[in-house]
Order: sequence, then structure tokens, then C-alpha cells
Amino acid sequence: MVGMSHIGAIPSADQVEIRAGARLLASAAYPGSGSELATHRRTWPDPRIGGPSGRLSADVLVEQARAIGLAGRGGAGFPFATKLAAAASSARLLRRPVVVVNAAEGEPASAKDFALALTAPHLVLDGAAVAAYALRCTEIHIVMPRERPAVRDAFELAVAQRREAGERLSWQLTETGPGFVAGQARAVIEALSGRPGLPVTAWQPEAMSGLKGRPTLLSNAETWAQVGALAGLGVDGYRQLGTPREPGTTLLSLSASDDRVEVVEVAYGTPWADVLGGDARRPALVGGYHGTWAAAGALSSLAVSRADMRDAGLTLGAGVVVVPAPDECPVAVTAAVTAYLAGESAGRCGPCFNGLPALAAEVGALARCNTGASYSRIAELAGIVTGRGACAHPDGTARLVRSMVTVFDDEVAAHLGGVCRVAESSSRPPSTAGARDD
Amino acid sequence: MTDSNEVGVLRVDWPACMGRGVCAEVLPEIITLDEWGYPVIAGGGAVSAELRDLAREAVTSCPHAALKLLPPRR
Repeated sequence: MVGMSHIGAIPSADQVEIRAGARLLASAAYPGSGSELATHRRTWPDPRIGGPSGRLSADVLVEQARAIGLAGRGGAGFPFATKLAAAASSARLLRRPVVVVNAAEGEPASAKDFALALTAPHLVLDGAAVAAYALRCTEIHIVMPRERPAVRDAFELAVAQRREAGERLSWQLTETGPGFVAGQARAVIEALSGRPGLPVTAWQPEAMSGLKGRPTLLSNAETWAQVGALAGLGVDGYRQLGTPREPGTTLLSLSASDDRVEVVEVAYGTPWADVLGGDARRPALVGGYHGTWAAAGALSSLAVSRADMRDAGLTLGAGVVVVPAPDECPVAVTAAVTAYLAGESAGRCGPCFNGLPALAAEVGALARCNTGASYSRIAELAGIVTGRGACAHPDGTARLVRSMVTVFDDEVAAHLGGVCRVAESSSRPPSTAGARDD
Repeated sequence: MTDSNEVGVLRVDWPACMGRGVCAEVLPEIITLDEWGYPVIAGGGAVSAELRDLAREAVTSCPHAALKLLPPRR
């Protein structure tokens, strides 16, 4: 494997390049402006006053979120309106709702929530504030990843400014992690409850019974920024970007093989060829480490669209795209990611704790062209781990492996026959052979 | 895939399950064990009226209270 050390590594602040965008990342064009409340307020209205529709009730916010089809940006794409409606209807005098901003970005290839924290923290917090006012509650938690300390610094500063500006909301900041599964919704609620931040079984949706049994409206940081944008622009304003079916923009974290992550904001409907350039013709892992592989050429005819991607058997997930270098074999990349994910099991659920290392070993053997590797064993293990855990970590890992087997069936067959064609075609002079680690 | 015959749904609390395998002994009609001894629940956990008593016994006999019988799906 060449240069695969970046798999599983959280990018440091200077490895993330944030490109200015049309809406959420607009302030990235003027460094520091989005972090300054007064500057932010020149563009975005105070949630206490509201935008074109004034201050929003829960019913109106549900209706507006539904009108723009706002899907959660943490990866699962669950409709925000449904969550909000459930939290609103579960709210009682003794079960006052809680709002949670989930910025615990545990996915190493993702840096979009990091980018928002650094360039537009107030837009994220505006969204959470809008929801708190709509639900008539005041308690808002911000959960941040321990392995990205700049996120904490950014939100601490933003909250201090809002308190100084007289916003009477109870902002509470909590760090969690490290680890891939630390950002999972139930793991976040566990961390807020003072227990280890690891996934537990959810018997009811968080919106009905979450933190201390209270209705808990927990969404990803980008989802909150989208809510902030919706409240500030109104439905018509929000629809100015994107397509009629999928209004608005989405953040993407793009990584090539050079250890850097580029965060961009694109309108739905933008062709992948415009986003990735020539890389759109290459095989790409879309949707992150729990995502699916796009075959060479698959993205060049597709647009950034949840619906189009789904129709093509792909998932946009949390907007992560990893394009391996031409000399990186996708089977080897999958093996490296699977090994990382197996190591990130919280170790609490038997099928995940036992099954992911077994799956990683088998995919690893395949990547090394070990002819003892077995296609049917990989399929069997992927089946065994699916649907058998407190969280979707085993399911996501199995999805990645299954998609490799489907999309790269020729490559997999070649490996089973003892040959990696990528390694053969990119075989290098003896002087650099020492750089290979397998 | 809901069965009109369904009177309840078996669900495993995975972090609580230690793979003791008592459930598979009590209710082999629905529960088998994987290669590491953890339960594999057939048919999405649907429990028919005929198996209701055995399902309840499987739930109460779990030493870690890791098996739950939830109300039927509509």
C-alpha cells in the first residue's frame, strides 16, 4: 500500500482547506467575520426577532423545514421536520425539550463541522436558538470532538459573545470522544448524561426520550446551520439555491491522497464533474467510511443530489468523498478503512466486537492477494454483523465492504487469483520500493 | 414485512448481551447462535401467538436481561 497512512487520521487544522461558499461558508471569504457576532448579524437576523416570517413557532418551523425537504446532515439524512414535530409533541410541562448541536465529527475524512465552527459558528447556533424558541425551551448543548480542539475554542468564543449580547439561553458545552462512534446520537446523549460516550440501545427515538428521558432534538452542526439559514432567509429565500426538488446547498469534505481535506459548499444539482474536475472519472468512496464506492466514471454523469445518488445505488451520507490516488488500489483502501473501523468498535456489542476484526482480517487477506481469502466468507461476515448492534457502526462497515465487492468485482476476482493489477501497473523502480508497507 | 399473526417482537439489547446463549436453548424456533455465541433472531424477531409463552420465558431467563419482547409492529 502506498501513502495509506492518512486512513483513519483526523486532519489537523492546517490540513483542512475551507473554500468560501454561497451561503453557509460565505463568511469564509472574510476570515474571522463569521466568528464575530456583530459582523454575523449584518447578514443574519437575531433569532429572537426572526427573519422574513418573524419568530417561528414549532408548527411553522416544521412546515418550513418540510417545504425545503431539510434532511439531517450527520449522515443518515433523516427528515428534520419529522424529528422536530416528534420533539414538539413529546414536550410537556415536566418533560421540557433539550436542543443538542452535534459537532462531534468523529469521521476522519470529514471536516465540514470543523469548517462551520471556524467560519460560521453563529449560524449554527442561530439554528439551535430558533429551535429552542420554537420549542419554548432554553437548554442547548453543544457537543464537540476532543480530537479537534479548535472547534471547542471557536464555540466557546461564540457562546461568550452571545451571552454578552444578552441572549438568555443556557448554552452548555461538552467535549466527547475521541473515536469514530463518539458522534453517534446515543453516544452523544450518554456523554451528556455523564456516562462514557459510547453507543447504547435506543428503545425510543431521542426526540421522544433522550437526555434524562426528555424530548431531545439532536442534530448535526450543519443541519443547525441550515435551520439558521432557513429562519434567516425564509422558504423562498432558501430556495434561491439548489433545485426545486432539493433546495439549498450542502457541505462536502473532499480528500485526495495528499492528506488534505478540502471543505466546499455546493448547491444541490451541481454536477460532480464541476466539483471534482477530472477526479469525477476516477473511483471514489462516497459518503465516508460507512459509505459506498462509485465506480470509475460513475460520478461524471451524476449531480450532487441525494435522490440521484440513491437511484444510482450511492449515498451522499455526511458529504464525504475520498478519491484514492491512481496508484492506490481500491481493494487495499477498503482493507485499510475496514481495519480502522474494526479498531473503532466500542467493543460493547458481541457481533461488532468479534465480527468486524474477522471481516477486516478477511478483506486484508484479499488486499494482500492471499489466495486463501474467500469471497463467500466476506459475504457471510458482512451479513453476520449487519443489524446486530446498538448503533449502525457494523452496518456501515458491512456496507462499505459489500460495495467494494460489487463495484470492483473484476479487481476482487484478480486479487483472489493472486494479482493486484493496480500494484502491477504502478510498479515502481527498486529505489522507492522501500516505501511500500505490504 | 409485518405478520398479522405477530403478538410481539424480540429485540436484543446488544451492549447488555454477553452471549450466554440461554435464549437459543429456550426458543430455538426463533433464536440460533452465531459463531461467537451471540443470538441470531429469525424473521425480524416476530413472535407468533403459539410461541408467545416461550418467548417470555426466553426473556426472563436471560442472565443479563438483554432480551426484550416489544409490542407488535402495526
